[in-house]
Formats: sequence, C-alpha cells, structure tokens
Amino acid sequence: MDNLLWRSSKWASKLVAMLIACLALCWVAIPFLWAIGNSIKSRSAIFERGAIIPFLQFTPTLDAWKEVLNDPQAINCLFSSALVGVGTTAFVLLIGTPAAYSLARFEFRRVKSKDITLWFLSQRVMPPVVVLSPFYILLAEFGLIDTWIGLILLYSTFNLAFCVVIMRDIFRDVSKDVEEAARMEGASLWQVFWMIALPLSLDGLIVTAFIVFAFCWNEALFASAVTSQHAATMPAFILASRSTRGVDFNFAAVNTLLAIAPPVLMSFFVQRYLARGLSFGAVKG
Amino acid sequence: MSQDHSKDRFEELSAGFLAGRISRRHFIGQAAKLGISAALLSRIVSAQAYAEDGNLMDSSPDYPNEAPITKERIEFLKTKPYKGQTITVLVLKATVGDGLKYWVPKWEEETGGKVNVAEVPIDTLHQQIFSDLQTTHRYDAYMTGAWFYGDFFVPKEPYIIEVGPYLKDPKYPSWSPDDWLPAMKTLYSWQGKVYGVLFDGDCQILYYRRDVLEKAENQQKFKDKVGYDLPNPPKTNKQMFDVANFFTGWDWNGDGQNDWGIALHAKVNEQGFFHFLTLAAPYVCSPNNKYFWFNPDTMKPLINSEGHLRALEDYVKFLPCGPKEAISWTLGQGWNLFLSGQAVLEPTWGDLPTFAQDPKESKVKGKVGATIIPGTTEAYDPIKGQWDKFDLNSVGNVNGGSWHCVISRFSKKKDPTYDFLAFMATKKNAIYNCTHGFTGVQPGMKFEYFPPVGTGKVEEWVEQGWDPEEAKRYLDAYYQNLSLPAQETYLRIPGAAEYWHELDVRVSGVLAGQTQPKAALDDCAQAWERITERYGRDKQKKLYAESFA
Amino acid sequence: METIASVQSKAERGFKYALLAPSVIWIIALTFFPILAAVRYSFANYVLGEGITAYVGFSNYARLLTDSGFWYAIFITVIFVGITVPIEVCIGFVLAWIITIGVPGKKLFRPILTAPLFTMEVAIGYLGVTLFTDQGGLFSTILGALGIHIEWLSTASGGLAAAMILDIWIWTPFVFLMSLATLSAIPNDIFDAAMLEASSHWQVFFHVAIPLAWPVLTVAILSRVLEGLKSFGLPYALTSGGPGTSTQLFSVMADLTTIQFTDFGRGSAMGILYLIMVSIVITFFFKQMRKRID
Repeated sequence: MDNLLWRSSKWASKLVAMLIACLALCWVAIPFLWAIGNSIKSRSAIFERGAIIPFLQFTPTLDAWKEVLNDPQAINCLFSSALVGVGTTAFVLLIGTPAAYSLARFEFRRVKSKDITLWFLSQRVMPPVVVLSPFYILLAEFGLIDTWIGLILLYSTFNLAFCVVIMRDIFRDVSKDVEEAARMEGASLWQVFWMIALPLSLDGLIVTAFIVFAFCWNEALFASAVTSQHAATMPAFILASRSTRGVDFNFAAVNTLLAIAPPVLMSFFVQRYLARGLSFGAVKG
Repeated sequence: MSQDHSKDRFEELSAGFLAGRISRRHFIGQAAKLGISAALLSRIVSAQAYAEDGNLMDSSPDYPNEAPITKERIEFLKTKPYKGQTITVLVLKATVGDGLKYWVPKWEEETGGKVNVAEVPIDTLHQQIFSDLQTTHRYDAYMTGAWFYGDFFVPKEPYIIEVGPYLKDPKYPSWSPDDWLPAMKTLYSWQGKVYGVLFDGDCQILYYRRDVLEKAENQQKFKDKVGYDLPNPPKTNKQMFDVANFFTGWDWNGDGQNDWGIALHAKVNEQGFFHFLTLAAPYVCSPNNKYFWFNPDTMKPLINSEGHLRALEDYVKFLPCGPKEAISWTLGQGWNLFLSGQAVLEPTWGDLPTFAQDPKESKVKGKVGATIIPGTTEAYDPIKGQWDKFDLNSVGNVNGGSWHCVISRFSKKKDPTYDFLAFMATKKNAIYNCTHGFTGVQPGMKFEYFPPVGTGKVEEWVEQGWDPEEAKRYLDAYYQNLSLPAQETYLRIPGAAEYWHELDVRVSGVLAGQTQPKAALDDCAQAWERITERYGRDKQKKLYAESFA
Repeated sequence: METIASVQSKAERGFKYALLAPSVIWIIALTFFPILAAVRYSFANYVLGEGITAYVGFSNYARLLTDSGFWYAIFITVIFVGITVPIEVCIGFVLAWIITIGVPGKKLFRPILTAPLFTMEVAIGYLGVTLFTDQGGLFSTILGALGIHIEWLSTASGGLAAAMILDIWIWTPFVFLMSLATLSAIPNDIFDAAMLEASSHWQVFFHVAIPLAWPVLTVAILSRVLEGLKSFGLPYALTSGGPGTSTQLFSVMADLTTIQFTDFGRGSAMGILYLIMVSIVITFFFKQMRKRID
C-alpha cells in the first residue's frame, strides 16, 4: 500500500502526518469514551467534579444499562429503527437507481438532464420543520401515523433526491464502452441496465445504501412527531431521555451507545467499499 | 362528656371513616351521639356521597388492588366487564408515565380489559395530543399538563368529557374530587366541572438545609454580618436573599471548596421560568388581587407591571448566589447541587426531597427542611395600579404540570377508560403513587397528608426509605402551600405554553445580562399581545374568565 | 453530447422515461402538497382546534421581517455555518490526504474517523452538556487544569462555540469520507509523477490534490451548507437556544413556533422566507455545479 509519496517524504513530514492522524483519532474517540463513562455513572456522579476515570474517581454502576435494557420499548425502538432504515433504503434504491441511470445516460428533450438532477438536489434545501405539519396531516389522512409504512414513506421522500444525485454520478463513472458493446450484441436496454450497469456500480450502490440508512437511522424530528409507540425509532427514544424531570444524562448515554453500535459495526463491514473510491463523477474532466 | 374529649373522639372516628375502617352508617350514628351537627357531618360524608349507605367497604379480599371499594363495584368486577376491550392512552415519557404503566397489569387482571400505553417526549406531547384530536382519534385518554386545559375548550363542544356522571355511579372505582385541596381541584376542573382524574399534584416550595441554618456557628456569623438573627426558615423574600447571599462563596460544608447559597435550574425551554413565576407570586397576588397574567376586562398583559418588574429585579439578584452556569441547567443539574450538599436553598418541586432519600444520589438525607415560598411585605395590585402593604403576604402556587389523564370526546370506549383512570385514583393507589418516587406523583389529596388533615401514615413513607421527620416537614409545607388563602392563579388559556415561552426567553435573557428587566418585560407584554391577537382577544378573554370559575 | 443519447430510438425514449418517472412523480406527489399547504398557511391566521380563522395577507411576513429576533436567528445560523463548514472541509480534506498518501495504520483510522457520522445530533447535544459543564465536565476540567476558564454554557458565545465544536466533530467525517473517496479514485501515479517534479510535499497537496478533488469538495461544501443551515438537534439539545434566545438557530426557532406553539401561519412564513433566502445563496453553488455536471 505504501506509495512513492509516502516513501519520498521527509521524516519530518511523516512525523507531522502521523501526529495529525493520532490527534484526530483521540479527538474522535474522546466523546465516545466519555459517553461510555456517563453510561456507568449514577445521576449525581455525572456532574461531580473530578469524576472522570471509573473505579479510581467514581464507582461505576450498571443501573442505567439495566434500566434501559429492561425497558421493552428500547428494544422495540431498535427494531423499528432497523426496519424503517432497511425499508427506506430498499425503496429508495428501487426507484431512485433507475432514475439515476436514466439521468446519467440519456438526454431529455425539454429539460436538460443536468437540470433535472439539480431539481432533485434542490429538494434538500427545504427545512423539514416547515413541512412537518402538512406531512402530519397527510399521514393522518391515510391512517399512517405511528406506522412503519408512514415513516418509510417520509424518509423515502427526503432521501430519494440524495440517492438519485449520487447514483447518477456513480453510473457516469462506469465506462460506456461495455454498455455499447453489449448493445451491439443485441442486449435490450433493460438488460444493459440490469446486467451490466448495475453490477458494475455495486460499490457505489452499497455506499449509497449505507449513507441513506445512516440518515434514516439518525432522523429525530419527524420520528418524534409522527410516532408515539408502535413505530417509534431510536432517536425518538433518545429525545425522550428528556422529561418533566429534566434530562437523565446517564440514560441518554446508554441510549446513544445502543443507537450508534449497529451503524458503526456495519461501517466496519462496508469499509472495503467506502474506500474503493467514489469519484462522484468528478474527475472525468 | 367534655368538649375536648368529644373532639378527639370525633377526629378518631372520622379518620376511621375516611380510611374505610368504619362504615358510613356506624359513623353517622356515632357522630350523632357526640352531638356533631348534621351540617358538619354532611361536609365530611359528602366525600362518599355517591356510595349507597353502607356499601363502601374498606377493602375486598377478592379485589385487593383497589380500596375502598363498593359492593356494586365488586359485583361489577365479577363479570370481568371489559373482557376483549383495549383502551389506548397517550402518556408523557417520564416518571409520571412510568407511574401510570405500573397500574396497567393490575387493572387488566381485575377487569379483563387491556391497556395500550403510548409514550411521547414532552417536546411533542402537546402537538401529538391535538393532532390526534383533530385528525386520527386514536387515543381514548391523554395525559395532560395543566396548562393544556384551555386548548381543550376552544371548540364549542370541548375535546374532553366531564367525569361527573361517572362519579355518581357506584360500579366504578371509588374516589372523590372533594378530597382535593381546593387549589388542586381547580386545576382538574373547568368552570366548576371536573374533567381530570386524580393523578399528580405539583407545586413549588422552598427546600433548605435545616442542619446548616441551625448550626450555632453559622447563626452567629450571620448575625455579625447581616445584623439580625438567621431566619430559620426564611419567611420573606428579603430574608431568603440574605440567607442565599450569606452562604455564597465560602466553605460552610467543610469539603475544601467554596459553596453556594441557592441552587436554580434556569435553562430556557426547560421549565426554568417556573422559578420566576413562583418567586413573583407574592409581589403581585395577594388577598386583594388574584390576577397575575392578564387584566380580565381587556386581556391586556399585566406581565410588565411594577410588581412583576420588582420580582424580576429580585430574581436576578439570586443568580450570583449560585454557580453562573445555573442559567443553563436543567432540573437534574439544579437538584444535584443541592443533593451533593453544596447549596443551602432550592425552590423547586417535590422530586428534590424524594431524591434526597436515596443514599446513592444524595448526601443530605435527613437534613432537608421544607417551607412555603417566602412572602413579601408589599404587593402591587396591577388592576388598581397601587402597592398594598402587608405584614407578610404569602402566596401559594400550583406551578408545574400536575400531570393527569383526561378522556377524549372521540373515544369509543369511554367507560373502560374512565374505569382505568379512576382505578388509579382510589385512595389506596393514590397513596401508593405519592409515596413512591418512581411514579413522579406528588400529593394533592387531603387524605394523603398526615392527621389531623388526612389519614396518611408516616410508616408508609418510612417504608419507602424516607426519613420520617423529613416526610412530615415536606408534607406539612406542601399542605400549607396548597391551603394558603391567596393563591397564584395558573395560566390555562390556549397558547399558555407560548405565552410562557415568550416570558421564559426574556427572563433568561435578563439573567444572562443581555437585556434589562424593564425592557424585557415590556417586550414580553408586546409579544403576549401578538399571541392574544392570533387566538382572538374575545375568545381568550372568555376562556381566561372560565379558567378561574 | 452523449453518444448513446444521440441515437434516439423510440424504445429508448420509452425506457428512459419509464426509469425516471417513478422518482419524479413520487417527489412531486409527496412534496407538492406539503409545500402548497405551507404557502397557504403562511398567509393565514391559524389557531389550534379551529384551523384557519382568517387570511391575513402578508402580515405574517411583515411581522417576521420587522422582528429582530428572526434576523438574529438567521444571523447566528449564518455565522454557525460560516465557521463550521470551512473548518470541517479543511480538517476533513487534510485527514483524507494523510490517509491517501499512506500513513501507517490507515485501515484502523478509516472506520474510526467515520464513526461520528452515525451518531445522532440530539444524543451528541446531551453528551455535550456533560462535556462542557463546569460541574465536572471534561473540557472544563482539562482547561481548568491549564488555568483557562471558559463559560461554555452560560453565555451566547460559549454556547455557540460548544455547538460548533460538536458540529465539527460530527460532520468532519462526512467531508473526510467524500474526500477520501475522490482522492483514492485518482490513480497513484499522478501523485507519484507530481512528487518527482515538485520540490515539496506541500506543492503536490496544493497544486495537484486540491484542484483534482475540488469538484467533489464543492459537492461536500454545498451539502454541508444546506444541512448546516438546517441544524436543529444539536443546538436544541445542548442549549435549547439559551441563554435567552442567544443561541436560537433558525431551525430551533421554527420548531418552537410550528411544533410546540402550533403557530402554523408564522412558522410557514418563516419557512418560505428561509427558502427564498437560501435559494438566492445557493444559486451561486448551483451555477458551479451546473458547469461541473456538463
């Protein structure tokens, strides 16, 4: 993996690079460690001066963990989050990927495909707070409040644009020569898309899926507004660490750790794809 | 028979009756022998008036989950009346929600019904309740904060139903609104009719460190420095400030760090403004004036009156008596300062003494005193526009959520819903709720207090780990606060949360030193006018008047 | 012109529309109604329980435009984005560069450095309270040991700074990930060749890496600007906009108005105004993007 750039660098620059990397590592790790610390503190130890190192400076307790894990709602919420995340991702890819391919490969008569792409992108400008109430009414009309379907519907709407824009760039990276050759051999358009373009963009597809999933997994505003029990997701559950009695910071820490574990574990598995190099269509000049 | 003796005997008798040990018939007969007038009797007995003579039993071995219980109720329960029915209740995700959930299996076992509990955080509770009332009608009952009430009465036909008719039917669990202290009953009612079923009763009182105020060394120092005897507990706002100020900035607990006079939880959007409302009450409310929020004739805000202004100026002075960061503290952080023994005073809710009993969280068990919020010697009557002098003007408050459930008009299962809510309101269960910290419920019923007022037993509190003296002090102060003749009225009109928020951010701005009190309150009054305009001045005026009735 | 696109057959026309249509219809169907509703509300006086009581023309807008609180919220939101995004872009890109040139242990760095991306803003806000409090918070303890005392949570600037630090913590990995993706797509020999010619490492960084990655960086910056302007969970959980309204970012203000106080009229007007303002600003970005997409 070593390349010329690294080998030819002066030892001083190497040192600086390693130093920066280590600093970044600490910087990223500290809040996680702090969350772990919080999760094993009692309510009062959270705001005790000098209670930083467990055992040495405060007596750790698993009370918060026990309490949260004994709450069946925590498990329900994790399940809802997973289901809604997977459902949304699947749906978004299902209808977004073809659209992205269409925009990447074809030109349209009235509106240029790049303008359609920009239109998709512009969907992310709207602050969600503003359309929340109309969305609530919309969901209520169809009896979809506090249902998984309702959430999937909402999240699909917000993430579809992202999927289309990113996937379009990814398709444009795939060499057209192969597709053209396949066409010459008599493959149908659909076959080209399904059997050539899609498999060639698998890496990008996985990364897109991963990011869409993460967005759904982390969404708190809508989740807390349109769910209450059945379909409540983890972020809604975390928001509820705050109650009439203020915030239970130790519970919040447990919830946080529970909630980040699945995507972080997942990110270790998709690392391979994340690193393979998405150019987002940028470097083709 | 001497007068005194008959009084003792009567108290014993009524305690027995209220606890359900003595039947109604026996009680009336015995009381008549003591020469108690019928009028006086009726005041006590009316509490159970709906129960047919002799029908109310203190408990039933078949149905141990509720007490007292009527014979009709027992018969009714034998049929498992709600078999196959499921009710859905929307509650606050918090201790009060946990408190409600505790009773679900018990009620289900008794009646055969099912309860489905949905929990939402406080940020979205209001929105969820009213969105549901307008569109989906999925819930049979909602847990509501007392300040949501006005919103329920905006439509011609209120969104929620009265529970009065149910109270007359002996087949439902037995509880009585007459057991409420009047200040609390008002919060559960609208225009004299009861809509809410007993659950929580919030109010703010002042908690203080008894051991610190009693220490001779501190008393001497205080006298030398301030010039009068250390008030124990502080009775006026000025005394409270002197105490807070005196104990700030030196190490009175001997842990090597400087300590503080007062613990506050003043974070914006986190109920911090309740501090201001509580402290401001005696500057505005008095036996001469009950209007704190608006002029009832014009709906013009009173919030920038001289009384409110003085209160805010005084409130600001308390800030340096605690850590500066208190302006961004949520409740738990404020309590923590007191519980860890670093502050002498804290005006707050009943959660504080409850947490104080937990040795894991608290260093102050057995050292906590409780008293009503200190009063003032003058109060500004904002309607007449004049300062009135008093020896001591003490004003009670019911600040807080007083969380409880109301039944939706759209519910198709009103009867089982009421049954469940009333089940939690029976005396036995209500006492359980207010003695157990996890329920987040605080006492609002007379019987929850100790004799002579009620029939509570200190043993029940000790069992829950309470220091007996501390429990008594806490309940005494709580009772005294709720039964003060002058009470700060509660804001229960539509948009209450929004009015409060406008006040909240401005008070917080003043605390942070960004604005001056006068400018902030004037600005707040303007913001309030805008809100009133939006809801419609006449409608608000009508609802404001109704909220007192 | 695309080669395939230039060969316009009938089948192709049907095919491309069939692929595109579901997404376009979906978005129009699901966003058209809410946005239309928002526009309608913005001209109305809305009361919970009664619905729209009157149409009030532009008065919701007029009130907002003359409300210093609204402008203040916009102002600090812009400051917030203006400070966090450049820092996130710089740090994220430098880290990606270091990984790309092959610092030892990069397999370990990559997953760890991207982890914050998957935390929830609300949760990090709560965590932030315990990190920054002067009652035993980590930052205060460390800085206190160095003799520095900062009032993080009791002042406007402290609260904003704390929110920014956490925002940078969460979102730098996003830039990092995008930069890494584009840098690793650039063949190594380009850098190697550059290195042989350039006199220093820095020259390669500034004159080769940045220009090559610039197009993707614009996407990253645009995404961060758009998302940053909508920041809600983090500042809400951390300071709730306090003390006073001093850290009340736009989305926090809009949430309070719309969701908690159900003033749909004012809230919708707020959203529409925001949309207009943001649209003007991002037109600049879109022009850049349009060029790139060509």
